[in-house]
Amino acid sequence: MREIRAWLRSHRASGYVVALGLTSIVTGAIAAIEQVADVANISMLYLLAVMASAIFFGNGPAILASVAAFLAFNFFFIEPEYTFKVANEDEWLALGLLLATGAVAGQLAAALRNRAREAGRREKEAIVMYDVVRLMGEPDLHRSLTAIAERLRAELDLAVVAVAAGTEGPVRAQADTGDSEAIALAHEAQRLPEMIMGGGQAPTAASRARPGRWIRIVPPSVSPGPQRVRHDRVRVVPVNLGDQRVGSIVLVRAVGSPQFGEAEDRLLSAVAHQLGLYLERLRLHREATEAEVLRRTDELKTALLNAVSHDLRTPLSSIIASADSLLQQDVSWTEEERRDFARAIEEEAERLNRLIGNLLNLSRIQAGTLVPEKGWYDLGALVDEVLGRLRPVTSNHRVVVDMPEDLPAISLDYVEIDEVLSNLVENAVKYSPSASEIVIRASREKCFVRVEVADRGPGIPPEALPRLFDPFYRVRKEGPTPKGTGLGLAVARGLVEAHGGRIWVENREGGGARFVFTLPLHEPEDHPMEAAMGQP
Amino acid sequence: MSLSNAARVLVIEDDAAIRRVLKTNLVRHGFQVRSADTGVEGLHEFRHWHPDVLLLDLGLPDMDGIDLIREIRSHTNTPIVVLSVRGGERDKVAALDLGADDYLTKPFGVNELLARIRVALRHAARPTCGSTAVFEAGDLKVNVERRSVEVAGQEVHLTPTEYDLLGAFIRNPDKVLTDRMLLREVWGPEYGSEAHYLHVYVARLRKKIEADPQRPQHLLTEPGVGYRFVSEEI
Repeated sequence: MREIRAWLRSHRASGYVVALGLTSIVTGAIAAIEQVADVANISMLYLLAVMASAIFFGNGPAILASVAAFLAFNFFFIEPEYTFKVANEDEWLALGLLLATGAVAGQLAAALRNRAREAGRREKEAIVMYDVVRLMGEPDLHRSLTAIAERLRAELDLAVVAVAAGTEGPVRAQADTGDSEAIALAHEAQRLPEMIMGGGQAPTAASRARPGRWIRIVPPSVSPGPQRVRHDRVRVVPVNLGDQRVGSIVLVRAVGSPQFGEAEDRLLSAVAHQLGLYLERLRLHREATEAEVLRRTDELKTALLNAVSHDLRTPLSSIIASADSLLQQDVSWTEEERRDFARAIEEEAERLNRLIGNLLNLSRIQAGTLVPEKGWYDLGALVDEVLGRLRPVTSNHRVVVDMPEDLPAISLDYVEIDEVLSNLVENAVKYSPSASEIVIRASREKCFVRVEVADRGPGIPPEALPRLFDPFYRVRKEGPTPKGTGLGLAVARGLVEAHGGRIWVENREGGGARFVFTLPLHEPEDHPMEAAMGQP
Repeated sequence: MSLSNAARVLVIEDDAAIRRVLKTNLVRHGFQVRSADTGVEGLHEFRHWHPDVLLLDLGLPDMDGIDLIREIRSHTNTPIVVLSVRGGERDKVAALDLGADDYLTKPFGVNELLARIRVALRHAARPTCGSTAVFEAGDLKVNVERRSVEVAGQEVHLTPTEYDLLGAFIRNPDKVLTDRMLLREVWGPEYGSEAHYLHVYVARLRKKIEADPQRPQHLLTEPGVGYRFVSEEI
């Protein structure tokens, strides 16, 4: 269909030929009908030829068809036949009516055809615009620009469309048909545009927008030969925001394809305008994100300072006071008292060390420099070891471990997941009453392992759920708050996410909280060898 | 010191380690000690045991230490020594303004702790300093009735405001006085935020009564909180 249309477009004369052909066919048909019956006003049959010419080829061929019909009817069917003479004066009237009716009907049909074509073009334009706007929704700028370029290229039947955003170090995206010459032209045009769309008029409340016009920029010293080829085929539409150039669209036509018409210009103008708005929106969004990041960083710093001032100094106070006590000259401490002070120093120093470890981990997580050193481990053994180490802490609780037998080895950083589990178990102990049950359960899902630590404490207030894993966040509530820095869960989340897993918390039926984290079962193809070895 | 008349110290502190160290030290230095790890428990202990001095950590899990001071001050004048790790001096000032007697910033040494407790107890024992006719501290001698001041035997002339300021200090020897307390005491109840007056007058007073105003022996600055008049080596 497209070929036929192109052929018709490139052979304007063919419309007239077809108009004449149609007239001849109708003439033949009338001659055939005349043989069998005498039909009054049979000349009206010519209107078919006129209408068809008007609808398919427009105004000119329609007029030609009317005139040809007038002459043919006169020549073949009006007495005396085979002359242009008319015997009966009344026949002139009939012929005149035929000509007039043909001309008017042709005009009407042609106008209809033009309107239909215009409507079709507008619809296409609207669809393309709509598509372009939708493609701008893509979060990744480069992908979005590429999609827009491809959409324009396909729609306008071009060899290459390149979209560049930003003036300094622009982001380039390109869609092409593999025509290397056209690609080269596009790249050159981006550097040195020659035919550039300029002017144009923004819509106002009273008047519709007018697309820009093509303006030729002649670079001072370029040989005239290839230049002609280039400016014939390559066009640049600047993307402006206000008076500022924020990008450009470069278009390269395929050899032999038609020039841009008004509809294309209009479309390109509108796309360029939308693109400008889109780039501006992205810039604002980026700025807002940066501001938000800064604000969050600031908040974190403040929280960090508070934590450092309180949580680092508390153990330090005990250490200094204990050491100071031991150094008192005027007091002779009993052996037990001395040991007590020494133990306080040791324990509090340990506490400081853990806190600093958590702070360091957190800063590594926040800086994105945390890379788990993974190996293949048995999760059951890890759980056993953590529980063994935490036995002094968990001694007042009933700890239930439920690990399936067939759990495969999992790729994880032993130290980090140990820490996650320790943090969760310590939390469960801290926040649930003595003698209550703490359940540690693992289960194998389709492509990950799920580990949960469930307690029978007070659970998590709903308003705290979304922020529970934020650094330094503490649940505010009545009654004594167990000591802690508010770092444990933030660190746990960072470590689990660095493993490609997820961590969340839910309240249990019957009271208590359930902390769940997942670890992927299979490496995302980074280490196929290790993965193969890890299979039982 | 026999157990019956040993001073009673109530420690309200939520950190178990520091509580234990405090207790061991205080017991060994002849105090009777009880401790509490929450404000509610501490208040209960305070009402039933009637301690002679209260050591209070401002950062309690269940209530603000400031509120606890307000509650206690509405009934008694028992000396309160505040323990605080909070970096901001605002909490200390608020605690002192509400009637806490002194503060210790964590981490602190054992000697400092003992000295502060002794000063607090002495305060509680002394009826009112204003009644003493002559106040002496080192080479400083103040005759309250005659409003005359001598430094190392030499009479020093003070303006009325300077004398009022010195008077406020010697009525509260060894006690931290916040800027607000001093302003109200000397300039009147409508003052409270004009700290610059105070700083100017303290500087003048130091020039007149200190041997070396750059290194004052009596009028010490408590950074961010106020001033302390030191009457003896503590």
